Amino acid sequence: MKKLLTAIFAMASASCAMAQETTTSPLEISGSVDTYFKYDFAKNPKNITTSFASDHNSVSLGMIDIALKKKTGKASFVGELSFGPRGQTQSIPDAAAGGSSFHIQNLYVNYDFTDQFSMTAGYMGTFIGYEVISPVGNFNYSTSYLFTNGPFQNAGIKATYKFSDKVSLMAGVFNDWNVYSASRGVSAVGGQLMVAPVEGWTAYLNVLSGAGAGGYGTIEDLTTSYQITEKFKLGLNAANYDIDNDGGGYAGAALYPQYAVADGVTLGLRGEYFKYKDAGPVQGVKYTAVTFTANIKSGGLTFIPEVRLDHSGDKPFFNKSGAAAPNAGQFSLAAVYAF
Amino acid sequence: MKYIILVFFIAFSIDLSAQQKQFIKDDNGKFIYYKVVDSQLLSKDTLVQRAKSFINLANKKTMVQQSITDSSVLAKGTIIVDKTVLVMGHPSGEVSYNFVFEARNGKYRFWLTDLLFIPYQRDRYGNFVASTKIGTPLERTPGKLSAGAWKDIVNSAYNKIEKFGDDFKKYLATKRVEKASKNTETISTKKW
Repeated sequence: MKKLLTAIFAMASASCAMAQETTTSPLEISGSVDTYFKYDFAKNPKNITTSFASDHNSVSLGMIDIALKKKTGKASFVGELSFGPRGQTQSIPDAAAGGSSFHIQNLYVNYDFTDQFSMTAGYMGTFIGYEVISPVGNFNYSTSYLFTNGPFQNAGIKATYKFSDKVSLMAGVFNDWNVYSASRGVSAVGGQLMVAPVEGWTAYLNVLSGAGAGGYGTIEDLTTSYQITEKFKLGLNAANYDIDNDGGGYAGAALYPQYAVADGVTLGLRGEYFKYKDAGPVQGVKYTAVTFTANIKSGGLTFIPEVRLDHSGDKPFFNKSGAAAPNAGQFSLAAVYAF
Repeated sequence: MKYIILVFFIAFSIDLSAQQKQFIKDDNGKFIYYKVVDSQLLSKDTLVQRAKSFINLANKKTMVQQSITDSSVLAKGTIIVDKTVLVMGHPSGEVSYNFVFEARNGKYRFWLTDLLFIPYQRDRYGNFVASTKIGTPLERTPGKLSAGAWKDIVNSAYNKIEKFGDDFKKYLATKRVEKASKNTETISTKKW
């Protein structure tokens, strides 16, 4: 591993030294602000425990997210920080640090060796999965079980080769999930094959193997979306995670149909099946969840009303009296402003 | 005080003048940016060669030549539309277009039409990428919710295309010869 990293850095340094590009792009600044109201039908904030939007019957904060990007010649950087519950205590690295600071969403440098080949090093949004931390990147405001249980971010170094606009391949070495510095060394390898078989359809086949949540394991993931017509888009995420030594993991799939009913108004559905795998003697819980969401956009502002209904025969939820229940439901209304 | 009023008056006039610039529509009801340029000193062949060079050399990353004859060049291209936040900004989308150039001895015309807007969205890595492959015609009538944002996009697209047109006219008016390699000036510290 050490030799590999040394070789990569040597190659990068040599190429940097040769490059005398002076083209400079202006500093890009972008970001978002989000706030929400959520009401759990059983008045229990701990009913649906997927990431974010965790407060019940409260007008609560998401986060303010600020991203900077600059490109000089072939080199570029992205630095993205978030502040607020979604970007602090509910994002994993900061939660581990006591939740009193901020969260780095992206902090990496990139170098385009050629138009086809580039390398990136730093802390990046994960390449696994359909949903992301930023509310701007998701259609639904609540998040899926697949998102909540998968990696959020990966620190590492990766190389991407673009064969054409329709095919590219990424491979890299990474720390364990969601940490700024490795707790178990550079201990994971990952790859992504992107294919775009027809106009509007893009599919990512992802693999990440090594140290992750719950131990060493391997996650295989398919993330794809297809803009079938101007108004109709269909997304799909399917993943399987196996933790070594009978340590469990999960498997699931989520479908994301979305239909634009008017200019600025899109209705969408997320249907998900998710199962924790048995870990030793502990039996995994199964979930099905359906989320109806509308996106109403006006300029940079998006209103997101949402109704979500979850079911599990294992009764992990609570009813109004606090007894175990097979069903849970919630309504939320979020406002997200992107700039 | 009167200077302040004068400055405000000039700024207001410039702003009004800027707002008046907008696309006109062609016979098919599509937005078009159309220019006829007198170019008395240049032959048709020279104009076609310079137009070809403009597409394939000066703008090879954003334009693709579709066809060429002895008096015309057709191309497709894209222009990035920026959203400005004070002095900094980020791309908010791209406008694709069809470019037509026709030349005669001493004059030429060009136009950009079939303008389609594709919005960008920020991806998980903080980069702005196309959110769809299907473009929306710039001349569409937006709904009330997005009327303001759409107006900004159309204005920004016009400004970018107008600059593109100016650059094209300058390029065609300029004779380009390879610059002789100039020795880098050095200073000797041995003699003084």
